[in-house]
Amino acid sequence: MELPPRRAALGLLGLLLLVAVPDLAKLSPGLQLRVVHEGVLFGLAAVGLNLLLRHTRLVSFGHAAFFGTGAYTAAVLASHFDVTSMLVLLAAATLFGTLMAGVVGYLSLRHTGLYFSLLTLAFGQLLYAVVIGRGYFGSSDGLAVRPGEANQALLFGVEFGSEVYSVVVYYLTVLVVLLSLLVMWRVANSPFGDALDAIGQNRTRARFIGIPVRRYVLAAFVVSGIYGGVAGGMYGLVQQHVRPEPTLYFLRSGDILFMAILGGFRTLVGPLVGGIVLVFLQDVGRDVTNYFDALTGIVLVALVYGFPRGIVGSLKAGSPFRRRLASLRADPSVAGAWLRGAWNAVVDAAARAGENLRIIIFGVN
Amino acid sequence: MSQDTPTDERNGGMNRRTMLAAAGGTAVATALAGCSTLLGGSQSDVEGEADVPDEPIQAGLQTFTEGAAAVLGLQAQHGAELAVRRINDAGGIAGREMELDTVHEADAHVENYTQFVDEGKDVTFGPISSGGHAAMAPEVESQGVVNVSTDGTVTTLYEGTVEDPTYSFRFQNYDVMECVTAAREAVSRVGADEIDTIAGINPNYAFGQDEWKFFELAMNQLVDGGVDSVYEGFPDLGATDMATHITEINNVQPDVTFSSQWGGDVTTMMNQASANGMFGNTQLVGSVLYSAVDELERNVVEEADAISGSRNWYWGFPDRSRWAPNDDTFGAARDEWDIVPTAHFMSGYGAVTAWATAVAKLVDVIGGWPSQDQIARGLEGHGFYTPAGYHVMSAGHQGKSNAFSGRMAWSEEVGAAVLEDVNAYAPQEVSPPEGTTAEEWVNGW
Repeated sequence: MELPPRRAALGLLGLLLLVAVPDLAKLSPGLQLRVVHEGVLFGLAAVGLNLLLRHTRLVSFGHAAFFGTGAYTAAVLASHFDVTSMLVLLAAATLFGTLMAGVVGYLSLRHTGLYFSLLTLAFGQLLYAVVIGRGYFGSSDGLAVRPGEANQALLFGVEFGSEVYSVVVYYLTVLVVLLSLLVMWRVANSPFGDALDAIGQNRTRARFIGIPVRRYVLAAFVVSGIYGGVAGGMYGLVQQHVRPEPTLYFLRSGDILFMAILGGFRTLVGPLVGGIVLVFLQDVGRDVTNYFDALTGIVLVALVYGFPRGIVGSLKAGSPFRRRLASLRADPSVAGAWLRGAWNAVVDAAARAGENLRIIIFGVN
Repeated sequence: MSQDTPTDERNGGMNRRTMLAAAGGTAVATALAGCSTLLGGSQSDVEGEADVPDEPIQAGLQTFTEGAAAVLGLQAQHGAELAVRRINDAGGIAGREMELDTVHEADAHVENYTQFVDEGKDVTFGPISSGGHAAMAPEVESQGVVNVSTDGTVTTLYEGTVEDPTYSFRFQNYDVMECVTAAREAVSRVGADEIDTIAGINPNYAFGQDEWKFFELAMNQLVDGGVDSVYEGFPDLGATDMATHITEINNVQPDVTFSSQWGGDVTTMMNQASANGMFGNTQLVGSVLYSAVDELERNVVEEADAISGSRNWYWGFPDRSRWAPNDDTFGAARDEWDIVPTAHFMSGYGAVTAWATAVAKLVDVIGGWPSQDQIARGLEGHGFYTPAGYHVMSAGHQGKSNAFSGRMAWSEEVGAAVLEDVNAYAPQEVSPPEGTTAEEWVNGW
């Protein structure tokens, strides 16, 4: 599959931006490397979740379980076993995230639709309850990821200063993200990805044409869990302290799902963009208003009504947003027609509501 | 030129700038102790005299500004704001005014702290959360900008998480201090001979588990032959139904029930305990029950007759007529925010005061603005006054203050709960000596 030049240029621009983040963060105190980094990692987990959402149309409400498993694997190994190697911590986080996805997937995928979603939610909360109730995991205080005498994980045995450490871990994340996107792109454009699409469109038909539906969906679930595990492990290395609320609580699962939708779940990099934007919004929102939690709701409403394909989805050629933008450029007066149309829609809706109310109170006649 | 300059001898060994800076330091310290009205006079004559930067001091505070924990968080914010205002009214620190930027701590303690550092804050204060503090303290050590926490009182912070801190300090008494206070209070008020059984209803997170552990340890040491723990319940934060725990307490009828519930959870527990007749079956002893003072109703307070700690400050002790700083601070909190100030108010006030008085002293000593390293060194062993009395920031970076506890009663005059028959415990009565962990210390009694 060839990449159109325009898209390749956009991808290159995105990559350059991603690489430039540590320098950009130095220019403005409002942009924190740590916040962007956290956004990238949750975005990476959302990229994994998107494999389920985009192709198999399964909605998981428990993906924080894999993210949290990855994060806590790194934390337990660093705190209780004094494992100092960054790569070993990351590999272990990925492995345990994968195992957890295998177990949860095996038990949840016996059902589809609402029951699947509820089961993933239940397993996620079960994990949260176990962690918060056990002193071994540091209960609500969590565990530090600061092993060894250097008080930090080491890359190839090298100890870094605080600022250098955060930049090194960031570039390690960029590498992991690029590799992960490449793998996801290959998976999505492989026969396996096509089979998942078929399963998402109609399970019964997929089974009839010989696709081993349950096995394929479990494989997709595990792959999506790997992304959560690796992202969680990286999160542990970045934050150097892991707590249950930010990693395992069910609202985190909701955030990851929302990131995928915000960025555009029908795209490859949309969830990543969604992750960065949402985490950034939440961070900035705290500085602006006490009601920052409402921001998520407002963005969601704006998204559903104005940009149903998400940020990246709306920017793609042929999207309703791009069509409207083109017609606005061709004839700015069209904005007046849109406003009139919107007003008429409101008036019509009010009239219909009035009519419905009349019928409810006075009957059809 | 030398003839125009006063000699050190003529000024008691101090040159003019040092003397003025010292006067500024004294003014700040006095204002923060709330005593400026006692001394009278203006403190603004030192502005700009010390060899310090012109721009205001930038300070950051993270606390809970919304949600259930805002009951405590806003008290800390108001306390910090009052301290900053008093500093500025006294002419600032060596002429530099303070500006305080407050953010909601949410679950982003490390991010908030690094954001403050990126913004060039001279000092940071907070947080309230124990877990958040544990996550943040190592980062404070990495970044090297002094943080004086208001709370985040988990016992293990300077015993395990950051064993040899440089830039991280904590003003408020830590968990072991209020648990030992509660245990001593239970024994002295109920009587060691009258206590065979204890029970606990504590919040279901690390703070609640830490508090119950130390209360249980202390009671076993204070009562000859030890005590039986007949029930321990851990309701979730913000739980709306505590009937299970109350029913269990009514069934086992322990001599003493300990609770480290705080804020809205105290109100929920005490209202439901009152409705189910629990107070007739046990003596309730709490470490921070008084944190719910602005929400508790008269009948519940009177029925409970509970014993409550008030961390390192109770506004009514000693009597306000004998200790004007308490009267001034209580009045300020009532007038401006319409609250009865609690120990969390003092958390914010004291954290700011610890830093400000140490810096004022350092400016005096070094004749210029101190570096972060110098401030950190200056804070170690630093003693200072607040309306709560005298405090010391110990060499181990833990603030050591008197711990207060009394019987909760209703006051018509205040229109809220008050503490009566208050006892104050010196730090050495309720906290381990330097170099000894809390658990070793209690077990060694």
